[in-house]
Amino acid sequence: MAEDRSPTVLRIDGGREAGIRRYFRAISAIVWKDLAAELRSRELMSAMLVFALLVILIFNFALELSVRSVETVTSGVLWVTFVFAGTLGLGRSMAIEKDRGCLDGLLLVPVDRSALYFGKLLGNLIFMLVVEAIVLPLYSLLFSVNLFDPRLLLVILLGSVGYSAVGTLLASMAVQTRTRDMLLPILLFPIVLPVVVAAVKASNAIQQSLEMATIWPWLNLLIAFDVIFVAAAFMLFDFVVEE
Amino acid sequence: MAAGDANRSMEPMPILLKVLSGFSVALFSVALYMVWFYAPREVVMGEVQRVFYFHVAAGWVGALAFLVTAIAGAIYLLREESRWDLLALSSVEIGVVFILINIVSGSIWAKPIWGTWWTWDPRLITATIMELIYIAYLMLRQGIDDPRRRARFGAVYGIAGFISVPITFLSIRLLRTIHPLVFGGEGGSLAGSFNMEPPMFLTFMISLLAFTFVFVTLLWHRYRLQLRAEQLEQTKMKLLLE
Amino acid sequence: MVRAVTPDTFSFMVLGYAVILGTMAAYTISLMLRSRRINIELRMLEDAQARERESQTR
Repeated sequence: MAEDRSPTVLRIDGGREAGIRRYFRAISAIVWKDLAAELRSRELMSAMLVFALLVILIFNFALELSVRSVETVTSGVLWVTFVFAGTLGLGRSMAIEKDRGCLDGLLLVPVDRSALYFGKLLGNLIFMLVVEAIVLPLYSLLFSVNLFDPRLLLVILLGSVGYSAVGTLLASMAVQTRTRDMLLPILLFPIVLPVVVAAVKASNAIQQSLEMATIWPWLNLLIAFDVIFVAAAFMLFDFVVEE
Repeated sequence: MAAGDANRSMEPMPILLKVLSGFSVALFSVALYMVWFYAPREVVMGEVQRVFYFHVAAGWVGALAFLVTAIAGAIYLLREESRWDLLALSSVEIGVVFILINIVSGSIWAKPIWGTWWTWDPRLITATIMELIYIAYLMLRQGIDDPRRRARFGAVYGIAGFISVPITFLSIRLLRTIHPLVFGGEGGSLAGSFNMEPPMFLTFMISLLAFTFVFVTLLWHRYRLQLRAEQLEQTKMKLLLE
Repeated sequence: MVRAVTPDTFSFMVLGYAVILGTMAAYTISLMLRSRRINIELRMLEDAQARERESQTR
């Protein structure tokens, strides 16, 4: 009925809907592209994993970790491991885009730039989560600590989201500089610090099975930081890839 | 060489800047005099408490400088006019210098009062993180050759850093603090806090004002320096192309 | 009533202000030096340009 009366309005509506669908298709295309490339080469994951295990190994000697003493430092060791392995993954994943010219190709696609951001963010997040999913059981096996607390998993998820949100933005800047890999941790660590602090504190509180009253503030803080950082990075990303 | 020769390439210093520079130096001297001779000696801590006036003022200038950087960066991203980028860069440099003053003078104050040069207190950590963020800002700029990209990335990082600083403070603040709270609050019983008598308060306010003027003056001079540095680069490029 | 003796922290005050004023002075001097170097270079370049232009017109 409306079709013959106001075809223009319909076309605009239809256009918007197609635009939204195209937006999400672009995000999923970028994520799939990263995952498919990774499944083929397995460069990134294997490097991140081996690196993570080496970090834990070094901690084992540096802190003289034993089954009895491990309780108090577990959350710290885990987060340092995730943060370092995450940096490795972020730097590599953006460097691949830059070197293979994928970024330039993606910029030609007539879709909002933020789709590119969310696509890379999701990709980086998935890599980080997979590494964590392997490191966690291994860690509990090696040091006989139980890490399978759903609250702890939630904290790790939230922390990883915040970390990848800032990391994706800053890594895409770092790869476009002369100093590249050297620069990423220097740019990233001081800015992402609040996320790491909140994540370590929340994990620690859960690890020592304190009451929820002491855990909640950190959890809320973590959620707030995630929202702030995702929103800020989403708005700033446009200017980082603009050429 | 004729005097007009020098003005050929460089704009002469504006009268307002000359007046401002003179006024800032004068006000700074007044503040210094008040700190040393007008403000009474604090009874519990002794002379070292006088560090407080310039210590806090330097921290204020640092925070103000980084605010200017974030705002100038945002304006640059909207308008793409290079002068806003020059302003942002100038401001970062001054902020880094003053936060360094803030940290070191605070450490010197802490030694006789807390008995240690350094404690892992929220404000100390936040000031240090802030310093590190803006040193990273300068390193980021150094790694980029294309001036427009340098300006854009600088703006993005300046804004991201400025968002991060207050929430860093908030997150570390949740742990207990031993830093004195200057204006009342629950810090009354903590070592290092003190009641501000009226002459102290006046000295403090004059110090803040003097440092604000010093900041604006330095920023203006630094901005002019950057303008000329750009001019030099462009002239060099032109000569190379000829 | 016991009154605590005010500790002698004069040397720390002097050290503090030495650092504060010293750093500010160092920064100001660095600004002046940088400014002078740029001015000298600019002047040299522009003189060179002017000379070149002169020789071309002749």
